[in-house]
Amino acid sequence: MQNKLDFTDRSGGGISRHLFDNVIFLGPTLIFLFAILIYPLIYSLYVSFHDWKLVSTVPPKLIGFTNYINALKDPLFWNALRIQVTFILIAIPLELIIGLLVALLFQVEFFGNRIMRTLLLIPFFVLPSLSGLMWRFMLQPRYGLIGNIYYLLNMEPVDWLSNPRLTFLAVILQDIWRTWPFMFITLYAALSNFPKELKESAEIDGANKIQVFLKIILPLLTPAIVVACFLRLIDALRIFSEVYVMTEGGPGHATTFLSIYIYKNAFRFFNIGYANSMGYMLTIIALLISFYALSKIYKEELS
Amino acid sequence: MKRKIIKKFFFFLALIILMIEFIPIYILLSTSFKDNMTIWTSTSPFQPFKPTLEQYLGVFKETPFTKNILNSFYIASMTTVISIVGGSMASYALACLPIKRKKEIATGIILTRMIPQISLAIPIYLVMRSLKILDTYTSLILAHSTFGLPYVVWVLIPFFRSIPKELEEAALIDGCSRIQLFQKVFVPLASPGILVAATFTFLGSWNDFIYTLVLSNVKTTTAPMLVTTFWGMYAPEVGKMCAAGLLIIIPIFLVTFVLQKYIIMGLTAGGIKG
Repeated sequence: MQNKLDFTDRSGGGISRHLFDNVIFLGPTLIFLFAILIYPLIYSLYVSFHDWKLVSTVPPKLIGFTNYINALKDPLFWNALRIQVTFILIAIPLELIIGLLVALLFQVEFFGNRIMRTLLLIPFFVLPSLSGLMWRFMLQPRYGLIGNIYYLLNMEPVDWLSNPRLTFLAVILQDIWRTWPFMFITLYAALSNFPKELKESAEIDGANKIQVFLKIILPLLTPAIVVACFLRLIDALRIFSEVYVMTEGGPGHATTFLSIYIYKNAFRFFNIGYANSMGYMLTIIALLISFYALSKIYKEELS
Repeated sequence: MKRKIIKKFFFFLALIILMIEFIPIYILLSTSFKDNMTIWTSTSPFQPFKPTLEQYLGVFKETPFTKNILNSFYIASMTTVISIVGGSMASYALACLPIKRKKEIATGIILTRMIPQISLAIPIYLVMRSLKILDTYTSLILAHSTFGLPYVVWVLIPFFRSIPKELEEAALIDGCSRIQLFQKVFVPLASPGILVAATFTFLGSWNDFIYTLVLSNVKTTTAPMLVTTFWGMYAPEVGKMCAAGLLIIIPIFLVTFVLQKYIIMGLTAGGIKG
């Protein structure tokens, strides 16, 4: 299969002759997306310029960029951004390293390779919200898994979810547990596509395993690593449900990621104008990254 | 000989990784078969126990699980149908028809998929509220289609591109209309791609949390949302949570096993060949 997004004209016919077909095929989706996606986004921009309360008899008041300025002055907004960035910088590299090492391990044809590979996919398909709940349960000091580990070490159990640093660590562990298999399976697929002769010829040339990996495998693997990290980055930017059920953003604001802070502003404090302004900033960050990444990753396909 | 030892070593290493990775899954599975007494009194989650179906019976008898899972199923199915019908047609148009600026249109559609859901969920909530359709199936199906449609377009473009041009021309010369051509030639030939796109759209809707949290209430609440309510304020019903949680992910596991060949394709939309 040709895995390319290329858009050169292949109809061979005139433009006007096909106008009807174009409308029939593309029209419904464009209209639909405009109604349920583009319109809400424009509306969101409109709301973000207002002092808008979710439940209130006072009509919304136009206040220009005040919400945006307030957000930039809001220490909790910066706190959320800092948490988000720290999370991304710790979790994604670790997921990548574990995924890559295990993908290399599975290149050797040992007994049970196939079935273990399939089983390792399972955690990635566990619902994020269920995963968050399971980790919350396991981290209970008295009856969870963590309590048991402290007990085995003859130590007094610590309640992870009431300690800000440990809670943040727990969220990272949860994310690594659930998503390194994604890195593993994408990199494994990319590795399996390499011609076998490549590695063999390199070994005959007297290069050792580490040299083969650094000089041949890693450069060839880079495109797959970039795609996998980009997709993870987009997901990590919008992390919500697992943290929401696991810690509700706490203790304090230790795990209040951007999405959680925005959600709380909208539906707990009913400050929907303010929430929309922060949501818009998050959208712009995500779109800038995506636009840059898509134009790099699919460079040849999109030109 | 040396090679054999290496293979054995790697086997055990992989087994250990698998076992560590499966601890939460084992706890989920075993807890769902324990009674409440066992859950709260045992000192270790790995202690032997007498399996019971108590939690499962409780889930079905005492909670609206059946209704909620039917809600989930209905919403996910409708989202999939809308996304596949609209998305496959749009994808075909962008792959094969002579449309001006189609590169920009395609990029635009793919980019909408990258928007953080919370940024969309709030305005969608406001729009649905003013239309007075909060807590209806329609609102959830429409909201889920915001990620379903762009995803289908994204996954299917390479599939439609890979269908030879000659086939298209021959059919058109034979007097086939575009729509007939699409139905009779392109859809069957792209069916593996459509299967992958449908599966992942269904899973996306099935797993959704944020739109359900924002848009639905008692009537249309989905099974994953019910599972989160088992962690109440005072007495977490962990047994029921695990039983219901397991029931929700079983369909996903089955799909994973059946479709494993196509999973990479579905996850990265052609970015990495599987």
